[in-house]
Amino acid sequence: MRNLWNVTIKDMLIVGKDRGAWIFLLITPLIVITVASFALGPAFEGGSIEAELLLADEDGGAVSSGLVEAFRKNENVVVVDAGRGECEALEKDGQEYEVALVIPAGFSGAVEAGGRAELEVFVDPNSNITRPFLVSVIQGTASRLSAVEVAAKVSVLEVMKVAPGADAAAVAGTAAAAAASELEDEPVQAAISNVGGVEDLNPFDTQAPGYSVMFMLFGVMTAAEGLLLERESGTLGRLLVAPVSRASILGGKLLAQFAIAILQITLLFTVGHFVFGMNLGNSIAGLALMIVVTAWTATAFGILLASMVKTRRQLSAVGILSVLLMSALGGSWWPLDIVPEFMRQLGHLTINAWALDGLNDLILRGKGLDAVLPEAGVLLAYGAVCFIIGIRMFRFRSVS
Amino acid sequence: MAVTPPEIDDMPDPIVIADNLEKRFDGLTAVDGVSFTIREGQIFGLLGPNGAGKSTTISMLSTYLRPTAGDASIDGLSIGREADAIKKIIGVVPQDIALYPTLTAMQNLRFYGKIYGLGGSHLESRCRELLELMELWERRDDRVEEFSGGMKRRVNMAAGLLHHPRFLLLDEPTVGVDPQSREHIFETIFRIRDSGTTILYTSHYMEEVELLCDFITIIDRGRVIAAGTLRELLKILGEGGVIELEIAGGECPGGLTARLEGHASVTAVKQEKNRLLISSDNSAHSLPPVMRELEAAGCEVASLELYSPNLEKLFIHLTGRELRE
Repeated sequence: MRNLWNVTIKDMLIVGKDRGAWIFLLITPLIVITVASFALGPAFEGGSIEAELLLADEDGGAVSSGLVEAFRKNENVVVVDAGRGECEALEKDGQEYEVALVIPAGFSGAVEAGGRAELEVFVDPNSNITRPFLVSVIQGTASRLSAVEVAAKVSVLEVMKVAPGADAAAVAGTAAAAAASELEDEPVQAAISNVGGVEDLNPFDTQAPGYSVMFMLFGVMTAAEGLLLERESGTLGRLLVAPVSRASILGGKLLAQFAIAILQITLLFTVGHFVFGMNLGNSIAGLALMIVVTAWTATAFGILLASMVKTRRQLSAVGILSVLLMSALGGSWWPLDIVPEFMRQLGHLTINAWALDGLNDLILRGKGLDAVLPEAGVLLAYGAVCFIIGIRMFRFRSVS
Repeated sequence: MAVTPPEIDDMPDPIVIADNLEKRFDGLTAVDGVSFTIREGQIFGLLGPNGAGKSTTISMLSTYLRPTAGDASIDGLSIGREADAIKKIIGVVPQDIALYPTLTAMQNLRFYGKIYGLGGSHLESRCRELLELMELWERRDDRVEEFSGGMKRRVNMAAGLLHHPRFLLLDEPTVGVDPQSREHIFETIFRIRDSGTTILYTSHYMEEVELLCDFITIIDRGRVIAAGTLRELLKILGEGGVIELEIAGGECPGGLTARLEGHASVTAVKQEKNRLLISSDNSAHSLPPVMRELEAAGCEVASLELYSPNLEKLFIHLTGRELRE
């Protein structure tokens, strides 16, 4: 046990003196997370979206004018007037647009006559950010217009029942104006609140856990490389002929890496919280548990990697491929909610997926310690399997 | 061809007894039945070319490798059965620089000292003592990666001495060092021996073994081919020196070797194709009759060399190959 601790202290001293290692462990992930957060920031801040809508009003009637006016009133929509050709090409004056709306001739007449009126919407299939937003704005505005027209029709029908001689057109106009006014006040409103009482999402909240887990795995790869380096340089051999057990050598190195992994993710979350306002959820105990079990599993995975390869060059190839694959499959780069079901199930073969399930429950959904116990249990077992296979397969002596 | 040292009652007790050690790797026999005895206080030299089996032998004695067959004892402890106890009394200085390059000399020594159970002020004073012995105390807080090859070798040696081992295994400790560092390492080895530590020294440099070792075992292709003190070994070549001749135009005629051996001062003759190695009690006296025999046999001498016997020539004599091949 004493020698296990000696090996741990020695390894931590080596990492502590390695400026490059700290840049890789802390500065690089911070830069990557920050860049990803700023890039995706607008997606989390609805009010700041300014979506440009290319619009051609071929009708020019009262209803279409009202519709255009409604779009212009929306503070998140910038209406760019255009012709049909430009709308169909989604391009005007050399600038490309993602959504265009054409109000065809006869639209107002059709609406006023109570017939079926259609709007023509052109979209760029490659756009995933503003397209859903603008389409929903167009659909919402069209629905409101339909509601006004329905209200006017119903009013005319009802008034005619009690006063058959009334001026139907006047009734319709008054009813439409009143309905429009009522809808302006939005009598039915959805009160939206975040589950778990967490504050609105910060892009750091969604990016930091995924990238932190990925960089923790990269950090563990560096530790696995250190283990192979000890074997290749002869220091491991020197320890093997000293009165120190193999369990102490490997255990000491594991403990050092485990501590470094915990320190790494803790520092990343601390900087994220105090510098970038990242949410840490409502359960510090839950967060601590997830950090510890993720670090354990990552460390055990590092031992497994080191045991599977013969040289550091092989480790680089296998390690980078493994970490990138696990990060892609496990949701470090995008949420698993958007991938097909079979990919989600495949993703749960990775450390990342289980770690992120737990971390996201805590950070994004404000859940407590109890909620992440299943994920923590899976990660503990995952780490135990990697650890047992790793130490059984690890070759202490140089292969050559 | 092995020379068995005479059993003398006042000889120091054996501390290491290797008994028919054998190590095979996937069909390759690296060490093939090696036996020797190392006595307390000796500097025991294991000489042989690269790949002879020296490092494998050291690896087995240090408990790093298990013998495929045979056994060895160190201070009465079996390397096969009592490896843990042996680890506490031996010191190993491997051929590789087995240090942590980003740590300082002092940090490296502290770590290895703690591994051997040293601590506190005793560890600090032992580190200081060894760094002063290695003339590196002033550089104690410099990273090892900033040291020259010779300085690294000295720290490497210090790391094996921290716990006052009874038996020190030095595996080619002068590889890649400058002459000044080499001299310093030699001085240090004598000091270690004088402090009571028994040393096993491997090298493929015969000059080093000649200079340092009290007893020498020559190993080739995994087998002991000669053993004894330097004097005993050189006697194989003849105490008076060696005449080396190259005959022009092919091999020597038959019967020449026997005729040469018939001369009183000639102790041994070895012939390899057109080369003759003639050992004698006095090469200057032997030369004229040798030349007459050659002339009578119609041999033309292409080259002639007279030299004092040394281990390099002994190795060639025993194996027909250069020691550094």
